Amino acid sequence: MDAAEVEFLAEKELVTIIPNFSLDKIYLIGGDLGPFNPGLPVDVPLWLAVNLKQRQKCRLVPPAWMDVEKLENIRDHERKEETFTPMPSPYYMELTKLLLNHASDNIPKADEIRTLVKDVWDTRIAKLRVSADRFVRDQEAHAELDNLTLMEINTSGAFLTQALNHMYKLRTNLQPSPSSQSQDF
Amino acid sequence: MFVSDFRKEFYEVVQSQRVLLFVAWDVDALCACKILQALFQCDHVQYTLIPVSGWQELETAFLEHKEQIKLLIKQDDDLEVPAYDDIFRDEQEDEAHSGNESDNGSEPSEKRTRLEEEIVEQTMKRRQRREWEARRRDILFDYEQYEYHGTSSAMVMFDLAWMMSKDLNDMLWWAIVGLTDQWVQDKITQMKYVTDIGVLQRHASRHNHRNEDEENALSVDCTRISFEYDLRLALYQHWSLHDSLCNTCYTAARFKLWSVHGQKRLQEFLADMGLPLKQVKQKFQSMDISLKENLREMIEESANKFGMKDMRVQTFSIHFGFKHKFLASDVVFATMSLMESPEKDGSGTDNFIQALDSLSRSNLDKLYHGLELAKKQLRATQQTIASCLCTNLVISQGPFLYCSLMEGTPDVVLFSKPASLSLLSRHLLKSFVCSTKNRRCKLLPLVMAAPLSMEQGTVTMVGIPPETDGSDRKNFFGRAFEKAAEGTNSRTLHNHFDLSVIELKAEDRSKFLDALVSLLS
Repeated sequence: MDAAEVEFLAEKELVTIIPNFSLDKIYLIGGDLGPFNPGLPVDVPLWLAVNLKQRQKCRLVPPAWMDVEKLENIRDHERKEETFTPMPSPYYMELTKLLLNHASDNIPKADEIRTLVKDVWDTRIAKLRVSADRFVRDQEAHAELDNLTLMEINTSGAFLTQALNHMYKLRTNLQPSPSSQSQDF
Repeated sequence: MFVSDFRKEFYEVVQSQRVLLFVAWDVDALCACKILQALFQCDHVQYTLIPVSGWQELETAFLEHKEQIKLLIKQDDDLEVPAYDDIFRDEQEDEAHSGNESDNGSEPSEKRTRLEEEIVEQTMKRRQRREWEARRRDILFDYEQYEYHGTSSAMVMFDLAWMMSKDLNDMLWWAIVGLTDQWVQDKITQMKYVTDIGVLQRHASRHNHRNEDEENALSVDCTRISFEYDLRLALYQHWSLHDSLCNTCYTAARFKLWSVHGQKRLQEFLADMGLPLKQVKQKFQSMDISLKENLREMIEESANKFGMKDMRVQTFSIHFGFKHKFLASDVVFATMSLMESPEKDGSGTDNFIQALDSLSRSNLDKLYHGLELAKKQLRATQQTIASCLCTNLVISQGPFLYCSLMEGTPDVVLFSKPASLSLLSRHLLKSFVCSTKNRRCKLLPLVMAAPLSMEQGTVTMVGIPPETDGSDRKNFFGRAFEKAAEGTNSRTLHNHFDLSVIELKAEDRSKFLDALVSLLS
C-alpha cells in the first residue's frame, strides 16, 4: 500500500470542529453529518474538517489525546515496554500530521506535540526493526505484532515480505536439482 | 466604479459568477490580487487572471473576451477620486438655483408681460447651463491635470476581507506590502503613510497578540507580523551594513557618496558609532551580536549628528520558521525586481507570474532570488546616479531638469521598465538636490529618458515632480506630455497606467522637449 492510501483511509476518522456557518443536516453515502450551527461543536470526518478549515469556515478542536502531558506519558510507557503498547488512535501519525499542517494555530503547544509524537514513532519503528531482524535471523515462522498501526506496518511490510520471498528462492536454489545444468563457457 | 457598500454591491454580485481579473504590473496590484485570489478560493469562485501593462493591452484583452463580459473589475492603484458630489452636485444645485431664480424673477414679473418672462427665463437657463458646463470643465481639468494616488488597493481588498471576517495574517501581510510599495515609490505623502500604518497596526495587534502569551504560544511555523520602528536602509538584514548604507538612496544622497569627500564622511560616520570596518562589510547575519544589539538606536543617534533626521521609519516585519525574517520593504524590492527583470523567457507574463508566486509563503526560493536581483538593481541605480552626477549629465532646460541615459551605459537595460526608471529618476533628483548649490535648481522637476528598444528606436521618458518636503505628490507631467506630443505631432505612446511615463521615438525627442519647455515656462 502507498503511504498516501493509508493517509486517505485515515481521513475517515472523526474530529470535532466548531463551524462559523450554518447548514442543515447533510446526507452523504458514508453517513449523516449533523446540522452545523455557528459556535456549536460538531463531529465530522477529517477530510471535511481540513477542507472547511482551509476555506476558513471552522475552527478545529484538537482530539483529547493530543495533549503534552498525555503524550509524555505515552512516550515514557512505550520506552519502558519491550512490546508495542496500545496507541490512542489507530491513525495517530496521520492525524497529527494533517492537524498540525493545516490547523497549528488552533492547537496549543504544537511544536512540543510534534516532537513528542515523533519520539513515540521513532521508538516504535526501532522496536519493529529489531523484531524483524530477530525474526529473520532465527528463521521464525510467525511473529506477534499487537497494537501496531497500519502506517507502521506499511513502512516495513511490503519490503519484509518481498525480501523473505527472495530469501526463500535463494535458499531453495542452494541445493542444485539433478536436472539442472550448469553453464559451460 | 463608485460603490458605497463594498461587500454587498461588489463581492456578493461577483461571487456567483465567473470573474475576469485584469491586474496592472505593480506590486500594490499584485498584493491586492493575492488577497482577492485567497477570497475566491475560500468561496470557490472561478476566475481568470490577465496581467495588463497598459491601456492598449487592457483594450485588446477586453475585446477578446467582449462577448462574455458583463461587469469590469480592474486592479490598480486608485487615482484619488474627488468627492463624488463635486462633479455631479452642480446639476442639482443648478436646478435648485434656477428654481430659486425663477421664483425671484416672478415677483417683479408682474410688471412684465408673459412672453418677456419666458424669453428671460430661457436665456437665464441657457446662461446657467453654459456656466455649469464651464465649471464642470474646470473641475474635470483640475481632476485630470494632476495625477496622484489614493489608498492602496491592497488595503481596500483587506478591508473587504475584514468585513467578511475572512481576514488572515497572510492577507494582512499583503496589505502591508501594498502600502509599503506606495511609500517606497513615493506615491503617497508621509502623513497618509503614517495614518495607514496606524490602521494596519491595529489589525496586526488583533491577529498577533498571542505571541506574547507564553502559555499558549503559537507554533514557530505560524507567520508572525510585528510592528517595528526600523532603519530605513534597504535590504540591510540580507546584505552587509556597508553595502546597504552605500546603496540606499537616503544615505547615499545625504553623504554624497559619489565623491571622495562623501566616502570619507561615511567612514567618519561608522567610526563615530564604533563599528569596525571589517565587521560592517560582512553579511549582516554574521556580524557580532554585541554590535547588533543596540544598532538601531546607535545609527539613529549618529545619523542625527550627520544631518539625517529620518533614519528610522515605522514599518512591519514578518517571520516564520527559525530562519526567515523579512521587512516589508525587502519584499517590495524583491517583488519589483522579479517583475521587471530583463530576462525574457517565453511570453512577458512569466515575470508577472513569478513575482505573484514569490509573495506566497511556499515559494521562498523565488523571494530570495528576487532579493538578489534587487541588490543588483540597487547597485546599478547608485552607480548610474554617481556617473550622471560626476559627468554633469543633468542639465537645466529652464523650467525643468533633463537627463538622458546613453545607449552604452552599463545596466541601461535594467532601466527600460517604468517602475525602475521612475525609481532611478526619483533617486537622481534627490541626490542632485543634495549636490547642487544652485537654489533655483533645487525646486525644479526632472524629466528623464532611457533607451527602450534598439530596433524600434524608442526611448522611455518619465517626469518627476519637484522634490520638496511637504509635497503632496501630485504629478502634472501626464497632461504636459500629452499636450506637448499633440503640439509637435511626435510619435508617442501613452500606454502606461501611470501617465507620467511615455514611450517616444528617439528622432522626435528634441522637438518634443522644446514643446515641453515652452509649455511649462
